[in-house]
Amino acid sequence: MTAPALPVQAPVPGPAPKPAAGKVVLEVEDLRVHYLTRFGAKIQAVDGVTFSLKQGEILGIAGESGCGKTTLVSGCMGLYIPPLYHTSGDVRIDGQSIVGMTPEQNRKEVLGRKIAMIPQGALNSLNPTRKIKDMATDMILSHDESADKKTINDRLRERFSRIGLDAQKVLNSYPVELPAGTKQRCVIGISTLLNPKVVVADEPTSALDVSTQKSVIRLLFELMNQEIISSMLFITHELPLLRHVSSSIAVMYAGEFVEYGSTEQVIFDGRQPYSRALMGSMLSTEPGQKSRKPVAIEGAPPKLDKPIPGCRFAERCPVAQPDCRSTDQVLRVVGGRQVRCKYADTDLVKQVGGTV
Amino acid sequence: MLRKNPTLRHVLGRAGWYFVTFLVAVAVNFFLPRLGDANPIDAIMARGGAMDSVSAREKEDAYLREFGLAQTDSNGKVVRSADGKPVKTGLASQFVNYVEMSLSGDLGTSILQYPKPVMDIILDAIPWTICLQLPTIILGWLFGNLLGALAAYKRGVFDRVLYPLALLASAIPAFCVGILLVYGLGIKHQWFPAVGGYDPSTTPELSGAFLSSAAYHYVMPFLSIFLIVVGGQSIGMRSMVIYELGTDYVKYAKLLGMKESKILLYTFRNAMLPQLTGLALAIGAMVGGALITEIIFSYPGLGMAILTAIQGNDYPVITGCTLLLSITVLVANFSVDVLLGLLDPRIRAAQAAEAN
Amino acid sequence: MTEHLKFEATHISRVFGHGKKAVTAVDDVSFAIKDREIISLVGQSGCGKTVLAKMLLRLEQPTRGELLFNGKPITATGDPRNHWRQVQAVFQDPFSCFNQFFTIRNQLKASFRLFEKKPSPAEIEERVDQALLAVNIKPREIDGKFPFELSGGQMQRMLLARIFILKPQVLIADEPTSMVDACSRASILDYLMKLKEELSMTIVFVTHDIGLAYYVSDSIYIMHKGKIVEQGPPDDVTQRPQSDVTKRLLEDIPDVHREWIPREAAVAAAR
Repeated sequence: MTAPALPVQAPVPGPAPKPAAGKVVLEVEDLRVHYLTRFGAKIQAVDGVTFSLKQGEILGIAGESGCGKTTLVSGCMGLYIPPLYHTSGDVRIDGQSIVGMTPEQNRKEVLGRKIAMIPQGALNSLNPTRKIKDMATDMILSHDESADKKTINDRLRERFSRIGLDAQKVLNSYPVELPAGTKQRCVIGISTLLNPKVVVADEPTSALDVSTQKSVIRLLFELMNQEIISSMLFITHELPLLRHVSSSIAVMYAGEFVEYGSTEQVIFDGRQPYSRALMGSMLSTEPGQKSRKPVAIEGAPPKLDKPIPGCRFAERCPVAQPDCRSTDQVLRVVGGRQVRCKYADTDLVKQVGGTV
Repeated sequence: MLRKNPTLRHVLGRAGWYFVTFLVAVAVNFFLPRLGDANPIDAIMARGGAMDSVSAREKEDAYLREFGLAQTDSNGKVVRSADGKPVKTGLASQFVNYVEMSLSGDLGTSILQYPKPVMDIILDAIPWTICLQLPTIILGWLFGNLLGALAAYKRGVFDRVLYPLALLASAIPAFCVGILLVYGLGIKHQWFPAVGGYDPSTTPELSGAFLSSAAYHYVMPFLSIFLIVVGGQSIGMRSMVIYELGTDYVKYAKLLGMKESKILLYTFRNAMLPQLTGLALAIGAMVGGALITEIIFSYPGLGMAILTAIQGNDYPVITGCTLLLSITVLVANFSVDVLLGLLDPRIRAAQAAEAN
Repeated sequence: MTEHLKFEATHISRVFGHGKKAVTAVDDVSFAIKDREIISLVGQSGCGKTVLAKMLLRLEQPTRGELLFNGKPITATGDPRNHWRQVQAVFQDPFSCFNQFFTIRNQLKASFRLFEKKPSPAEIEERVDQALLAVNIKPREIDGKFPFELSGGQMQRMLLARIFILKPQVLIADEPTSMVDACSRASILDYLMKLKEELSMTIVFVTHDIGLAYYVSDSIYIMHKGKIVEQGPPDDVTQRPQSDVTKRLLEDIPDVHREWIPREAAVAAAR
């Protein structure tokens, strides 16, 4: 395969892909989720998050590890396994609230059916001693006990051929007999068997090399084109990746959204020091980029075991002002997106991250 | 055919190795007890009481010829050195003689219980050992695995009580449990008979009286082996299930909304696979620990037979018994080897890779 | 000339297995690594870069060819531990490189065991503090802490602190950034450059991301199917790539400044 010459061009912000004006499928309203440590301390890992996801939309959620992304996902799925608990707020999928369901009701009606996960370690996510067919069948039977064998088999064959697999062969294989890429497709195939409204991809590519990463993202797009996946939450710690994946981005820090807007706004014109710092820490092979020195964000996100007065990022913010640590920050609209920073509309934040 | 069937090829390869191991075991069995200096004929002669020197000499010659212990001249007379002592046959020629006879099913004659054939002694003892050990080990293995899986799944109080108990049971040496039971239940409270396999007033036959007395005598040796097997197996199973419950495929199955019972079945099955090796090891341990149990309870099985034989330098019996035990251990290990290959696709894939 | 070379490899190969089962992981590779140079081995998973790095560490022996270290065959030092006093490594998963049950500080102190002459306890404490400061960690911050209490990025810096203590001549860094958050990757690379500048270290950096290699290295080797398909200074390799493999590696990076996956795909999906 010959690759075309490297496209060398100036930054192309380009117009954001218009978020489809479909109906809202996922609404999260002021969601707060906490967990308890062994010593009884309460960690408010998700602290008042509000967003909505429309049919056909990909929302990227970015932030470093420990900022609450994964807990937010559990909250969205209603999957509370102790020591994780729901504090307050509402999650509605297709207009129906999933808060307050019993775990069994949630398992049967929500997980896999309305909202499904594509896990991070896709390669180890399949039961090694079960054929793909059997695991997929178990998944369907867990939600619909009355399904008969033939209908299930036909459905599996149809679905696995549609995602580009040799259905007959793959379905009758054990995971160990399949190459990594095929396993990844199988996982995506099983996750989307029941046509969930929302698919959550939790760092689906972080363990992969760049080429495999590209092929996985391409597969996800392909499945969206085929309408096997209708809308998606894409969780990642690589903000630059979202430039190519999502139509809007929420940057999360210490359990809160700190900036939430369109991809172009957040990537090329961030107004919050943390999202700008995330961009500023990235490396680029493009000509002229080597002179721009990437700046890593020192330190780690706060522990959240006790309330933090003022801005939660102030501790690590390169342009923090004395009053940042005392005044609580609220999400407000600046430049057409939501930002949580007192100085979002000043030139102060532009000193962070440099121009990308 | 071999080319097409890597599993069969693997099994045959393993069988070859087990055969080599068997040959080594045969050699060790033969030579170890003979490395000592004791002369078993002296023991028999001593039991024979006072005899005049000529008939004693004739009798000794007969024994020496029968056991092949001394060199004979062309007339079949025992060769004696100047001081009247018989000239010993070399170990090598004794070994050749032994292998030839063993292959024809003749394990020789007991020295101690002359002229009883070794085969008869073993056939008398072996039903007792099999009836005691096999059901006990298999039941203990099954029960221990269930208990361990339950402890891993339930955790909490159940686990916190069971785990130390199981640790204790598996850590106490077999003879300790036996002696404690003999003292507590047999001597102090006299609930169960402390020694023997049946009431000496009955004879081994298919009568109600004999069977009920055998069952009554069965309880304590059963308990002493059972407790240890349950302890050891449940600890192994508990940590295996805890491991399996933390794997990616279990997390994924939960996210898919799979039924709890399905997930439990997954973990139980996958955790059982390594436990099969534990079963083979337990059968191997039968040789050591469990035989000691027989000795403590004076149970008329193979353990007692070996003990008596060792005390009386009864080489043919020792060699016969240990040969049998080696075969048992090898067969148990071989079966598990083959079984694991049939049950675990990962092992099958490894076998296929090895064969290619 | 050879005395300026840290490593010199002539036609080395590493083959695993025999006969029909044989897999050639490294296939007839020659190169020379100069003193005080950061070179990057770049390629997809399975291209042989890790095996090559292991040969430099003396964890694997070349099946064919000659590998010189400091002008002498790599096995000339006899005991491999003599080799490891001079050539050290940091790996992908920093957590697996530390014992879960001991404090980090104690484990850093334990690195002094590798020295032939052990310094005094007071000096050990001081040198641990210095090493921690070198990777931008306040020594008091990790006092009494165990590995699980730190993040991936912090633990990777602990591994580097160990290197600051051991001061080997050569450091082999095998994907040290893959378990590190994107926003701390640059700092890990900065420490690699600091090791080179301050301790005159030669560094072999193994990665699948040519972007990282571009940022940190003096020379890039692109590997594919066991062979080095392209090598040169980072600017040449990234701006004027010759090999299709290099072009592909560059193209697959999701850089914000150019198209990655044709936008139509994403837009069509959004419809």
